[in-house]
Amino acid sequence: MAIDMSQYLGIFVEESKENIQSLNDSILELESNPESKNAIDEIFRLMHTLKGTSATMGFQRMSKLCHTLESKLDEVRSGKKRVDESLIDELLSGLDRLNEAIENIEKGGDDSPVEKDGKVIDNAQPVENPKSEAVIPDSVFDVAKNAIQNGFDVQQITIDLIKDATMKSARMYIVFKRIEEDGSQIIYSDPSVEDIEKENFDRRVKLVVITKRSLAEMRESISNVSEIENVSIEKFQMKKEEKKEVPTSKIEPEKSDTQIQNENEKRRAKLAKSVRVDVEKLDSLMNLMAELVISRSRIEETLKQYRIKEMDESLSQLSRITLDLQSTVMKIRMIPVSFVFERFPRTVRDLSKSMNKKVELIIEGEETELDRTVADEIGEPLTHLIRNAIDHGIESEEERINLGKPPVGTIKLSAHQEGDSVIIEVSDDGRGFDKDKILKKAIEKGIVQEYEAAKMTTEEILNITFLPGFSTNDVSTEVSGRGVGMDVVKNVVESLNGSVYLESVEKKGSKVTIRLPLTLSIIQVLLVEICKQIYAIPISVIDSTLSIKSEELKDLEGMKTAIVRNELVPLIDMREYFGGEIVSNSRAELVVAKYKGKKYGLIVDRLIRQQDIVIKALGKFFKDTREFSGGAILGNGSIALIIDVPSLVEKASQGSKTALTI
Amino acid sequence: MGKRVLIVDDAAFMRMLLKDIVTKAGYEVAGEASNGKEAIEKYKELNPDIVTMDITMPEMTGIEATKEIMKMDPNAKIIMCSAMGQQMMVVEAIQAGAKDFIVKPFQQSRVVEALSKVAK
Repeated sequence: MAIDMSQYLGIFVEESKENIQSLNDSILELESNPESKNAIDEIFRLMHTLKGTSATMGFQRMSKLCHTLESKLDEVRSGKKRVDESLIDELLSGLDRLNEAIENIEKGGDDSPVEKDGKVIDNAQPVENPKSEAVIPDSVFDVAKNAIQNGFDVQQITIDLIKDATMKSARMYIVFKRIEEDGSQIIYSDPSVEDIEKENFDRRVKLVVITKRSLAEMRESISNVSEIENVSIEKFQMKKEEKKEVPTSKIEPEKSDTQIQNENEKRRAKLAKSVRVDVEKLDSLMNLMAELVISRSRIEETLKQYRIKEMDESLSQLSRITLDLQSTVMKIRMIPVSFVFERFPRTVRDLSKSMNKKVELIIEGEETELDRTVADEIGEPLTHLIRNAIDHGIESEEERINLGKPPVGTIKLSAHQEGDSVIIEVSDDGRGFDKDKILKKAIEKGIVQEYEAAKMTTEEILNITFLPGFSTNDVSTEVSGRGVGMDVVKNVVESLNGSVYLESVEKKGSKVTIRLPLTLSIIQVLLVEICKQIYAIPISVIDSTLSIKSEELKDLEGMKTAIVRNELVPLIDMREYFGGEIVSNSRAELVVAKYKGKKYGLIVDRLIRQQDIVIKALGKFFKDTREFSGGAILGNGSIALIIDVPSLVEKASQGSKTALTI
Repeated sequence: MGKRVLIVDDAAFMRMLLKDIVTKAGYEVAGEASNGKEAIEKYKELNPDIVTMDITMPEMTGIEATKEIMKMDPNAKIIMCSAMGQQMMVVEAIQAGAKDFIVKPFQQSRVVEALSKVAK
């Protein structure tokens, strides 16, 4: 009887997280629409599922908490209690604890976080049916009842295959065939038929069967299949314990049952079509894909030399297939941005409540897809931005009324794809950034000199908020204007090869635009030659490239500089930096790169071309070589190191502090 | 008297092994066949109680042979001999009417279990 439950832990955690998220959505919906019967039913159903699954997994504390919350809802359903703020708060805080418990379980712990605050649990009654395994859906009971009325027998069959059974799916196929050969019908199977077909089960299969055979006959025909350890057959128990548990409730069983059933089916259909895959496996798939692309280009380049006509067709086919494969693999890694966005309605609700502001969150384009890794990273910066918008952007209700604005503030979170990038925008209709306050603060902090302040453009002033020195923890809320953690936002986004852009109109609101690459492992670079070696510079950091006359290079306090579009730009001679030979030329090739809002010119020997490359990590041996963010294998098999401009600038400016920090 | 078994496999080694197991378990080997076509002919000729049928064979596969034999004799008792990874083919054979299957490499006990259960 002992089943090893630990194998189900992963799916339990995943599914519980989904349920908790859906609960969250439904509770918020209930808050905005307290009369919604649908919302209550949905919450009830989800709680019930959580209760059952957590009990099955042996997490009694979780199960009890669910039970308590479920009973509260039951009081609402029966009209004993009304939906009010305290109920919503109680549901949400209970949900938080369920969430903590799940997180703890995921980390290898148990569900003890539930007990941190015993308030809700105190009045919990023991769960009546803790052994409830995979809950048999009501529809099965309905069908069974019908069958019995029509003179059939309904049997519950539990089959255990032997321990090292081979081809379990084919084995179960025989069993199914034996059961159904005389017109008997399997109406329920746990695990599902899909799972059995995919061999997605251990040894035990439970079936509910409608038949005219006797128990003994049934046993006889199943036991005649080999590799079966045990068959137990009993009459199917018609039990509907829900009814007993919630005696006061008057659910309209017909309607809500079928609704639930439909939803269950929909959900199951959705589940059956998707497979959960470890992200690491996807990473290695992507890596192999990259290797394949490189091998293909190498073959192409080699064959070009021989001009074999017969190869052309198959080669172009190979190209097409690898391209398709590449885009498919990339798509597999993509997840909808709703994965990140779905947490924000709750964030906005909690924050606006605690700050006593009225805020409406509008979410657009949540179906936009982006790379899984990017999605994992971008949540935190977005939380920062939204927190900022509520804390500093949106005014209080009275203030807004006085200003003639709608009393409820609006925060808009939107996403869309633009070429190879995903754009995420966070905008609000609050008071915008206060330029004077930013400048005052910046001067106080010594980031900006007073004489510079006067000529700074709006954009430059706004960009100050992204500087690390500007937003520190000691900046108190009321004087800071805006800018808590803006540098964190910028750092994360830039580490993802993206960029942030800030716009603000005083008294009207502000908008932060984040541009992220669709994928992390393939980037666009400019290939350059420095001392006969090929290097790659990411396009995302390049401002412009130009060729200037050698006499236009000026020495300023021992540091090379040049005037680029009326701007004095410090230069880093890469040939010198890498300790190579400097060939004097009448012209110098410059790659102008941006870093922290400033421009730096890199002198190289030759610009080669723009190209998509697949980033390869350099490995532990080069971990101290910070000037390079990675390497790439080019079509001809040679290697190009990818120059990490930020580290390069930092390192070069350490050598000659004054010159580079003009 | 023991039930009579027809052993079908293209590899002589496998036939020998199976013959050994079958005889030791108290059955009588009615005959052998090394491909699907031969299996059908031998079935007609010998009318065995049980057939062990390899899946991958030259000339005619075990699945096709199973289908033909089931047409001739709906009560035929055929046990498929499958290699690992042939699950889909096993399912096809079962759809065609095979009663059970055993997986190579054979374990004697499994073969005997399958034979005795099918023989009932």
